[in-house]
Amino acid sequence: MAAVLAIQDLVKVYPSGTRAVNGVSLEIQRGEFVVLIGLSGSGKSSLLRCINRLVEPTSGRVVFDGADVTRASRAELRRIRRRIGMVFQQFNLVRRGSVLSNTLAGRLGYRPAWRTILGRPLREDVAAAFENLGRVGIADKAFARADALSGGQQQRVGIARALMQHPDLMLADEPVASLDPATSHSVMKYLEEINKKDGITVICSLHFLSLARRYGTRVIALKAGAVAFDGRPDAIDERRFKEIYGEDAVEVEIGPERSQPQPMSATEAALAALASDPDLGGIADR
Amino acid sequence: MAEYFVARGLPVPAELSQNPLTHWRRLIVIALSLGVVYIGLRITKIDLSSANPEYAAGVIGQLFHWDFSILTPRDEFETFWDTAEGQMIVTIFLGIIATVFAIIVALPLSFLGARNIMTGNVLTGGIYVVVRLVFTIIRSIDVLIVVIIFGVLLGIGSAAGVLALAFHNVGVLGKLYSEAIEGIDPGPLEAITATGANRVQVIWTAVLPQIVNPYISFTIYRLDTNVRLAPILGLVGGGGIGILLFQSVNLLQYGAAGLIIFMIVVTVALMDFASAQIRRRLV
Repeated sequence: MAAVLAIQDLVKVYPSGTRAVNGVSLEIQRGEFVVLIGLSGSGKSSLLRCINRLVEPTSGRVVFDGADVTRASRAELRRIRRRIGMVFQQFNLVRRGSVLSNTLAGRLGYRPAWRTILGRPLREDVAAAFENLGRVGIADKAFARADALSGGQQQRVGIARALMQHPDLMLADEPVASLDPATSHSVMKYLEEINKKDGITVICSLHFLSLARRYGTRVIALKAGAVAFDGRPDAIDERRFKEIYGEDAVEVEIGPERSQPQPMSATEAALAALASDPDLGGIADR
Repeated sequence: MAEYFVARGLPVPAELSQNPLTHWRRLIVIALSLGVVYIGLRITKIDLSSANPEYAAGVIGQLFHWDFSILTPRDEFETFWDTAEGQMIVTIFLGIIATVFAIIVALPLSFLGARNIMTGNVLTGGIYVVVRLVFTIIRSIDVLIVVIIFGVLLGIGSAAGVLALAFHNVGVLGKLYSEAIEGIDPGPLEAITATGANRVQVIWTAVLPQIVNPYISFTIYRLDTNVRLAPILGLVGGGGIGILLFQSVNLLQYGAAGLIIFMIVVTVALMDFASAQIRRRLV
């Protein structure tokens, strides 16, 4: 296995003085499903954005498939970026645009600007867009406005857009943080599928350790911009968890994949009944 | 009020014993305001002794004795376009043409005046500052002053009026357009940049769809304002129905002036209504 991504001594200091990434060195092998975990503000987003230089690193090196990203010229950077797909917490679709045009945007890096201005996508690109929308199960929504879709559907458009790039690497910045648990699993399964079937390396930041354990082949935890843990998902025990998230943290589950009701203890069930009773409304809170 | 602190042996905060109505800062503001009004009245010498209520009442009466002869050509040399309604239509189009000229200049400049487009390096950052400064300077000169200057440069008439209005609106529309760009959701920009698209493609794909509606809304708002301003331009030599109004007042033809004022009021009200309706549907 060859390293698809090598990060050496990466540092990002924002003008405000925040050291978001503080000397991270990593090697990611082709085909891995890497899950980034850590508290809010631990540098996950900054690290992901330094990889494709949406955020300009302060120092250090990022090498993608043998090409030095950090030293690349603007044109070289665009050629590198088009092989790195990215999906975002807020989906980042053009809300007023159609699902199809949002998907086609994934091909922009391969096509000249005049074609964008004339608004004439290549026939093969349109065919590929339908293909990719079909893969994530929303080909029938191709002509709907992006903001008419549900959150989970919008994220699937985001994945289809990234697939249009024929990426070797997929960066996912908290792709399910705005979604409910059931939808989270459906989106994560599409990421799992492109990782397993297409062999696309995935680096995905997540808030829920249960999701990290279920989908990751490797978990990297960040704490104050530095790597606090790097290993197999099942190696994170109670002690490691407290190291990463702090002494007061308690692990919460995002819930099972199928939407079965979770077994509740008798007390919990009683409290839930109290809370939902209109006459006693809110008593459980007090 | 202080019991909470007294009961716990804590120092009572000074804020509790203050009456905000008699706070010294408030008293100073009131005193300063009164001082400004007093000095203003002294130095501006407002003098109502030369007012003539009976004459004024007569003029106001005449303003409502509308002289409908201005609605038809007075002699064989005049055409429809010399009549009051002809000049009203000309005036509306003065406002429209001025808006169009302003759009042509302000539209491309607005991208150079948007902070989120121009950040990156020192050169683009410098261009941003210069463009926004130019917008501000242009806006700070009142339209009527610009018309007077353009009247000197180009001669009294429609050219001075239209170009002066257009000039002023480059400043106004430029600022509004730039702020519309600065107000867009940065998410799609980031996402399209990440696909490897170049700057032109990013603007075309991620910025344009987000600014079309605000642009149309601002443009209609300014079109409305410009048609409203256009009659006044004539008073200082900018062409249109304003000249007719100016002439009839000078010739003491208050019946004609009254009718012209009425026509302007109706036109402006209609523009205002139409503009509000269209913009409401856009949001």
